[in-house]
Amino acid sequence: MTDPNFADLVLHQLKKIEVIVRAEDQRVIEDLLGSAGLGGWTLIRDVAGLGHGGFHQGRTIFNDQSGLVMFVAVGEPAPVADVARGLARVFRNLPGVTFLSDVAVLRSDYFATVRPNA
Amino acid sequence: MNMLSPLTMVQPTLTRAETAALVALAARKVAPLWPLQSAIAVNPLSGFEELPFDQALAEGAAAFGARPGLPLADWRALVAAGRIERGAVQRAAIARLGGASAALTPIGPDVSPWDLLMARLFDLPVADQPSAPAHPAAAWVAKWCAAFFDQGQAASAMPGRDLGLYRAVLALLPHDRQWHALAGAQAARLIDVVPRDPLEALAEALEALGADADAAERLLAAWVLRLPGWAGHLRWREAHAEAGDVAGAPATMADLIALWALVDRAGIAAPEAPPAPAADPAELAAWFKLTQDQCGAGWASIEAVAAMTPGELGQVFMAAAETAWRDALVPDLASAVRQGPLAETPDAQLVFCIDVRSEPFRRALEAQGNFATLGYAGFFGLPIARQGHRGDRRQRLLPVLLAPQVIVEEAPPPLQVQQREALAGAASGWFAAVKQGLGSAFATAEASGWLAGATMALRTFVPRRAGLAAPQQGAPQLDHDHGGFALADRIGAAALLLRMTGLGTQTARLVVITGHGGAAVNNPYAAALDCGACGGHRGGFNARVLAAICNDPAVRAGLAEQGLALPADTLFIAGEHNTTTDVVTLFDGDQLPASHRDDLARLRAALDRAALANRQVRALALGRSADDLITGSCHWGEVRPEWGLTGNAGFIVGPRWLTRQLDLGGRAFLHSYDPAQDADGSTLAMILTAPMVVAQWINCQYLFSTIDNRVWGAGDKTTHNPVGRIGVVQGNGGDLCVGLPRQSLFDDDGLPRHVPQRLLTVVHAPFDRVAGVIAAHPILARLFGGGWVQLVVIEPGTGKARRWARDAEMG
Repeated sequence: MTDPNFADLVLHQLKKIEVIVRAEDQRVIEDLLGSAGLGGWTLIRDVAGLGHGGFHQGRTIFNDQSGLVMFVAVGEPAPVADVARGLARVFRNLPGVTFLSDVAVLRSDYFATVRPNA
Repeated sequence: MNMLSPLTMVQPTLTRAETAALVALAARKVAPLWPLQSAIAVNPLSGFEELPFDQALAEGAAAFGARPGLPLADWRALVAAGRIERGAVQRAAIARLGGASAALTPIGPDVSPWDLLMARLFDLPVADQPSAPAHPAAAWVAKWCAAFFDQGQAASAMPGRDLGLYRAVLALLPHDRQWHALAGAQAARLIDVVPRDPLEALAEALEALGADADAAERLLAAWVLRLPGWAGHLRWREAHAEAGDVAGAPATMADLIALWALVDRAGIAAPEAPPAPAADPAELAAWFKLTQDQCGAGWASIEAVAAMTPGELGQVFMAAAETAWRDALVPDLASAVRQGPLAETPDAQLVFCIDVRSEPFRRALEAQGNFATLGYAGFFGLPIARQGHRGDRRQRLLPVLLAPQVIVEEAPPPLQVQQREALAGAASGWFAAVKQGLGSAFATAEASGWLAGATMALRTFVPRRAGLAAPQQGAPQLDHDHGGFALADRIGAAALLLRMTGLGTQTARLVVITGHGGAAVNNPYAAALDCGACGGHRGGFNARVLAAICNDPAVRAGLAEQGLALPADTLFIAGEHNTTTDVVTLFDGDQLPASHRDDLARLRAALDRAALANRQVRALALGRSADDLITGSCHWGEVRPEWGLTGNAGFIVGPRWLTRQLDLGGRAFLHSYDPAQDADGSTLAMILTAPMVVAQWINCQYLFSTIDNRVWGAGDKTTHNPVGRIGVVQGNGGDLCVGLPRQSLFDDDGLPRHVPQRLLTVVHAPFDRVAGVIAAHPILARLFGGGWVQLVVIEPGTGKARRWARDAEMG
């Protein structure tokens, strides 16, 4: 990062991927992130918003599988690209959106790729 | 023929993550399968719910190797027995042919397409869909699943389980003669070269088998569906199991289907599915003494009717049953709406679960005095799990749509009871160990056989004295915060009860929160008789928690701040309805103040009278005496302690006065609802997206378990074997059974007691509100629009009823 405001900080360039899907499809995305080697992510439940199918809002008191959830994951470019390729297949069958962006983090070890136990 | 793919290494084109995504999608073709101790009803075709019902049934039946409908012989027998009116079938046949004009246009002398169809429905012999043959490797895969997933039933555990299912099996295959016999000498060597990671093994297998992207999706789904019971168990493990349930034996869907990939790579071919039988047009014409020349253009109609499969013919009968039920019910409900509510000031109000078995009991109780009853989801809106006092497994006492948010501990029983439980547990554990031990099994049989014989005689001839009974649940540990509930959450739970049921603030002196559970012993399916809303457990625990919350002065003050001030003399009490014996147990009655003891005494007497009355009605349906139902609840040989939810057909959302004058025969889920208290439709949205969804699962489980009891049910109880403490198999191995046993659905003479028909939901609310709720919730558009659930909306005030058409418009 060349911004002089951050000159005194040691920042690491990584990729961020955000995924918004139906809550009932949460497991699919978890499997995808885990298998790509991303060791952690943030999950935001009961996301509301306006999309192709109108306004989405869950009724989570009786059913927390209604509505939408949002994943936010950060990692090295290779596993994030792997996730994106998997999502391209997922979105052939399921509704959802994803956003990819460049991010800088302070502690890169928090976002190291986890190798599967092969 | 051996179609062995090359043993040489192949480079997969799919990445690990892409493979995981495809596996996760394929896994959804099967529904999760809960273990027996918390049996949850699921729709076995939930993976096909995106499709319209008819298409889902056809595709699902082909994928599962199941029959797509009840055999025609059974449908004909139901009509002959008067369970379905012939006239209803005649009308359904006309609708199936596109209406009266198309159906009744003559195609020959005194013969119309309708005559052709009626002849096929009732007169002509028909070959039923033959069963699909089992895959030659199914027993082999199932054998390893049973060994790997065992939860302590086996005397010695499978080694290497910590490696995961796929790797643990690979490690043992060199010693598995069955594998070598199935695969042959050359193919058996595959195990030396395939990747040890299941996702990489799958990616490589798809490449080796030449599957492109589309073929890969189909192949993965086919592998998942080859053993839907074990695949369903994996779905439960991955999404719903407690960590302690799966510790030490990790497994994913990829593990299971990597074994199937190995099978396919070894060239062990799946058998061809038999084609659906169809009638010969010439034979159909001959039945009416017609020839092709006589019919001219009408021959196309003969070919069309002859081409209808047994599944399509069965759907005509099913439509007849559905329409007959709807046409009988809806006018009565509309009439009740026009008459309006009756003013009432009940002596007590009892909140029951929406379960269909509550309806006849509520009716029996209402006949005993001035009592009002309401229906509410039987977990009573409490997102809780129960932690047993001995530190045993947590029980999730809520619908599987929700994750528990509060762990409520069970209060320890008196010391004497604890000591007795500990002693019994130790003795039972010791006996199981020596009975199964390699060195002690025969000696144990010799030493204790006489005792077992005496016990067996006792249990058989005097079961009520044999000490067998369903285990009792302990009381919740309710201290100042009611087991960990924040005050705001407690107020929220109480407010939810008042708002969702329409109970409001007009409460009686006594309000009884009534859970329910069944009673059966030596019955792997006992949990199927318990409360589905409580995760397949009994509902008394939740009832006790909510009653305590509603009596909490801080909660009452919080309710008042929300405009829900309850009368000071209203007290809540918990109960549990035993649906097998109809006995209602009231909890903590001794803690009621003297001011309410007379109320309680009158209520107890009325409950006893209602229990006897309802037991007598239910006994008739079971062909037994009322007293024999009590015996059946504790008899170890009882295969049908009650009919459960057999016959379920309706889900009615509205106030009790809408249905109070009707005998619904235990066929309807009743959820109380007051449209006047729900202007924004949020309560209705909750009812339709949660309790109704669960009711639809139950309805589909009964429907599919009946139309093919072998594939979608569980077959005959008498040949069941519990396996690994997680499910049952038929005979000595194979797939886990995914549905209900035959005895729960069929009379002893083989006639279906449960008539397969889709759920009819009737909502008492303004049309626009219902339409708005459906538009905002895709799951409702899917269920109503796809024909999985039929919907009728009855307008308050006018009683005007409208049916939700498949094109998602009122019509």
